[in-house]
Amino acid sequence: MLSNVAPSVFNGLILGAFYAFVAIGLSLIMNLTGTINLAHGSFLTLAGYLAFTLVSKGTSFWFALILAPLLTVVVGVAVERLLIVPLYKRDPIFSLLLTFGLSLIAEEVYRLIWGPNGVPFSAPGILGGGISLGFMQFPTLRLFIAVVLAAAMVLLALFLWRTRFGLRLRAAIQDTEMISAMGTNIQLLYMVNFALGMALAGLAGVLASGLLGLSPTMGNALLMPAFVVAIIGGMGSLFGSIVGGLLVGLAISVTTLFIPAANEVIMYILMAVVLLIRPRGLFGTEGLFG
Amino acid sequence: MNNRQKQGYIAAIAAVVLLAVLPLKIGSHSVLSLMHLDVSILSEMLLFAIAAMSVNLLLGYTGLMSFGNAAYFGLGAYGAGLSIHYLNMNFIEGAIIGTIVALLGGLIVGPFLLRRRGIYFALLTLAFGQVFYFIAYRANEFTGGEDGMSFPRPYFGFPGWHTDLHEGSFYYLMLLVFAVVLVGFWLIVRSPFGRTLQAIRQNELRVRYLGLDSNKFIFVALLVSAAMAGLAGALYGLLIMFAAPLMLDWQQSGDFVMIMILGGAGSIWGPVVGSLIYVIGKDIISTLTQTWQIYIGALFVICVLAFPGGLLGTLLNSIARRDVGAPISEETVPHKAWESGAPASSAAVAAEQKES
Repeated sequence: MLSNVAPSVFNGLILGAFYAFVAIGLSLIMNLTGTINLAHGSFLTLAGYLAFTLVSKGTSFWFALILAPLLTVVVGVAVERLLIVPLYKRDPIFSLLLTFGLSLIAEEVYRLIWGPNGVPFSAPGILGGGISLGFMQFPTLRLFIAVVLAAAMVLLALFLWRTRFGLRLRAAIQDTEMISAMGTNIQLLYMVNFALGMALAGLAGVLASGLLGLSPTMGNALLMPAFVVAIIGGMGSLFGSIVGGLLVGLAISVTTLFIPAANEVIMYILMAVVLLIRPRGLFGTEGLFG
Repeated sequence: MNNRQKQGYIAAIAAVVLLAVLPLKIGSHSVLSLMHLDVSILSEMLLFAIAAMSVNLLLGYTGLMSFGNAAYFGLGAYGAGLSIHYLNMNFIEGAIIGTIVALLGGLIVGPFLLRRRGIYFALLTLAFGQVFYFIAYRANEFTGGEDGMSFPRPYFGFPGWHTDLHEGSFYYLMLLVFAVVLVGFWLIVRSPFGRTLQAIRQNELRVRYLGLDSNKFIFVALLVSAAMAGLAGALYGLLIMFAAPLMLDWQQSGDFVMIMILGGAGSIWGPVVGSLIYVIGKDIISTLTQTWQIYIGALFVICVLAFPGGLLGTLLNSIARRDVGAPISEETVPHKAWESGAPASSAAVAAEQKES
């Protein structure tokens, strides 16, 4: 039993970590600016393809793992400055629609450049093997991904809770007007915040393409579960997103073992239950988003 | 009947006459065939307009960002398709069952959606919409899964009389349905119920202070919206004789929202105009190029950015001004009265109710 369940529990947790990662990126942007970034998945896919192109041009995987997210940040911030900034003052439906339009464009552009089907993208040999945990073999790649995701989350938490800038960012979520009146450059906050979201999306994109396979719709496949995770964890809470992500990943993997046909619906059931018991989400702040 | 209402009636009648005349042939050509358009494009346009109106009721009138109406649309299509495929239902029964299935979807999801507002509400509609997508996708023995299911279009009629619908007569049936829905929609938004929805958009708290349970109103609005989208979906399924999971997808929901924004939210004719631009534009672009999705996406981006005052906002303002006589905003209400809450808000809503 253990040898059967343990691997899928681990896999579920890693899948959940991905969801959490994407959800945190989404929440960061949503909390500060009220923008539901439907193009988030597109940026994720972009990072994957950039890494794929870099590696196929001869750079090492490790270099691509750093460079591709950075390039994604550059593209993302350019898009934010040019297209999304004018919408911050308007009804959130407009930025929702804009990013929706962007995701349509992006999907088609990826198809044009990299082809409609998935492309093979695999991690270097050193991550190919498995590590024995005593009772089971565990693929090194997955362990590596888990470590990188966890490290990135710790770094993000340190940035948000242990730096001046992070303090301002968190304050701006509470009251943008006040923090602006006190002399903080609010546009810089918006930009750095969006860049953070893009960096998370980029990192997740490169890692996910090694694990889930790289195709034009990869990012969007991760996007919807990430929304569910953000709702379960509670909007405005990064910790909630992590817990929500792991919960959803776990639920999916366990359901896949016993009722495979329901493995996608289970997270919505989980969401419905959480909403019934606690409408704000597990760790959400009441009143932040009505 | 004031001048504006008169103009409205004239415009409505003119539009319906125009839509009825479009497919008629003079000699061997009609206006449509000269534009290289098929009559089923017009049917599609009318049905998408109904679906966009269902979004409009929530977003334009009640101020709720619904990004999941494709779920009801797709439920309608599957409801019609499954009942025809498995139960040999006829056209009218299929359309009714499709609408009822969508309504049930709204009944299940509605109580959850009610719990939140603003972008949280948008997120919930987005997320719950996907449930039905996955159900249709996964129940492949029953629904055909990813490939979708095709089904025949049954004859149209009542006991004692029936006829087969070809594309032309189908269009005229759609025009009839559309006219009925349009009139119904018009009656709803002008009824005290519709006025209350608009009051909720402007200030839900005040509506609650007046002793109205805004949740109840929103729930009914959700159900009406679901039924409208479901009817559109069922008829769309009967038009293309096909139902697929993509009809339930959030990208389809996005299309409906876009259609509404294109034409103008919060107005009765907005979704119709938007649907005309969208469906015909998409048809023309997709015959010209394989990569039409880029152009549709670009259309979204341009439309959102090119109206700095907000196509939505400007239209909402002008609509509010025209319908109510004066915009209901904090400025028009005496400041002190507003602070005390109830008296001012009752004046505001009374001003709204008077018009209906």
